[in-house]
Amino acid sequence: MSALLKAEQLTKAFGSTQAVADISFDIAPGRCTALLGPNGAGKTTTIRMLAGLLQPTGGKLSYAGLKPGQSPNSLLGYLPQSPSFYGWMTGREYAVYAGRLCGLSAAEAKSQADSLLERVGLSAAAKRPISGYSGGMKQRLGLAQALVHRPRLLILDEPVSALDPLGRHEVLMLLRELKQETTVLFSTHVLHDAEQLCDDVIIIRNGEMALQGSLEEIRNNHRMSVITLHTEGDIRSMQWCMAYQSGAYVKELRRIEKGMELVVTDMELARGELLRQLAKDEIRVTKLEFGHSTLEELFMKVVSE
Amino acid sequence: MSQWTIIWRKELLELARSYKLLWLPLVFLLLGVSQPIMTYFLPDILANAGNLPEGTVIEMPKPQGGEVLAQTLQQYGMIGSLIVALGFMGAVSGERSSGAASMILVKPVSRAAYLLAKWTAMLALVWGSLAVGYLGAWYYTSLLIGEVDAIRAIQALLVFALWLSVIGTLTIAASVWLRSGAAAAFSALGLALLLSLTASFLPRALAWSPGQLPGLASGFLLESMPEAAGMIIAAGAVLTAAVLYAAVWRMRRMELP
Repeated sequence: MSALLKAEQLTKAFGSTQAVADISFDIAPGRCTALLGPNGAGKTTTIRMLAGLLQPTGGKLSYAGLKPGQSPNSLLGYLPQSPSFYGWMTGREYAVYAGRLCGLSAAEAKSQADSLLERVGLSAAAKRPISGYSGGMKQRLGLAQALVHRPRLLILDEPVSALDPLGRHEVLMLLRELKQETTVLFSTHVLHDAEQLCDDVIIIRNGEMALQGSLEEIRNNHRMSVITLHTEGDIRSMQWCMAYQSGAYVKELRRIEKGMELVVTDMELARGELLRQLAKDEIRVTKLEFGHSTLEELFMKVVSE
Repeated sequence: MSQWTIIWRKELLELARSYKLLWLPLVFLLLGVSQPIMTYFLPDILANAGNLPEGTVIEMPKPQGGEVLAQTLQQYGMIGSLIVALGFMGAVSGERSSGAASMILVKPVSRAAYLLAKWTAMLALVWGSLAVGYLGAWYYTSLLIGEVDAIRAIQALLVFALWLSVIGTLTIAASVWLRSGAAAAFSALGLALLLSLTASFLPRALAWSPGQLPGLASGFLLESMPEAAGMIIAAGAVLTAAVLYAAVWRMRRMELP
């Protein structure tokens, strides 16, 4: 499967600050990719370069299936973090204008605008000026105007960050539908959103690539076995925890309130050993869990390294 | 329909919705009409002012129609250019800093078309307003003061329209180069002032300067044309084209938020 968009050693420096350094990735057609990273990691800068709003200082971007002389922007639909419209236009006027600018005929632009506004739930507000729209409505209008020319790649910068829980839910539901129809790349600092929606993740940190791959792959490769032990917190149990000698199979030991957390290499061995010791010393266990690390933990680990 | 036309129509709609399409011609009309009326009633106004000693005799030469129109153009040269600069100082920088420009320019839209649509919308409004105001002034002048030679009057109008186009183009170009609207208006007006001051101080050395345009326009009406009329007009057109070209050049390389 050839990539729809290929970024090679993408670099952007503002003066002496390196915002993005040597980032390479592929966006495969039909996939939904999340660009993850903490605030200030370079997500927006990367997305602005992909959208052609910023000139990279180094590296290359190539789009597949581009006819000679065709602008890559005709393949893209873009929604910035806080979309800004012409407040004096109505929602419908803006959607039609966007369609016309993308080369649709007047009739086509109107019918596309109407069906998209219907789809994002703005039909009732379509004839009102945008200046009176709420943040969630603007975000939804932003989606409609980005989709008006049926782009092959939809690029969204923090599509839900500024929204309240309800607006967030609405936009996420829309994105879930949209990813069936087109390739989606969106940035977020909320791992939960990425986990819910996407197939692939790209994690960046300080402008550099930290980790990339499909969600499944990352989950499998970086999954760690974790044992969490909670006790009643009595003195004897706490002392036992403090004195606990980790075996060779324990990779990491963290004290938590009223217990401890072990990251282990061999779950079977660890499970047997720990259960035997707990039974022998009659520790007042309230909760004992043998599980796996979550993606959240991996994300925290990757970005804070 | 080309992209340019689509954007141009949006610009005109914006001018209409923001009432610029209404108040700009109105201001020009008010300025234009007040000149002949004021001139006509000036002796009466002075006589009724009341702070003149008893028995003062006011004798004023009755001005020619052309002089009154030339004075109108002087008004337009000061207040008119101020209004043009203030009206268009945020043409690009406003949309750029709000992020509205990013939303549009991320579409397959040529940046040159975006800028040229704004520029032509500005020209249409400025020429229209100037024509409306000037025609009003001309009508009242011929009614109250005296006839003006029609060909001379139209020549003066066209030359002056070119001068306002220079100022409007400078303003739009400044709004591409500078982030602040106030700075754009200030530099456009400053440059225009510099052009006309240098032209009037050094009339020989700068005989072909576009700063001679307002003087040339009045010259048509006062029948004292500078010799280099053709060269001045050509210089004005070349300056406009060059400033516009620089603005498009910058626009193509601009990084957007």
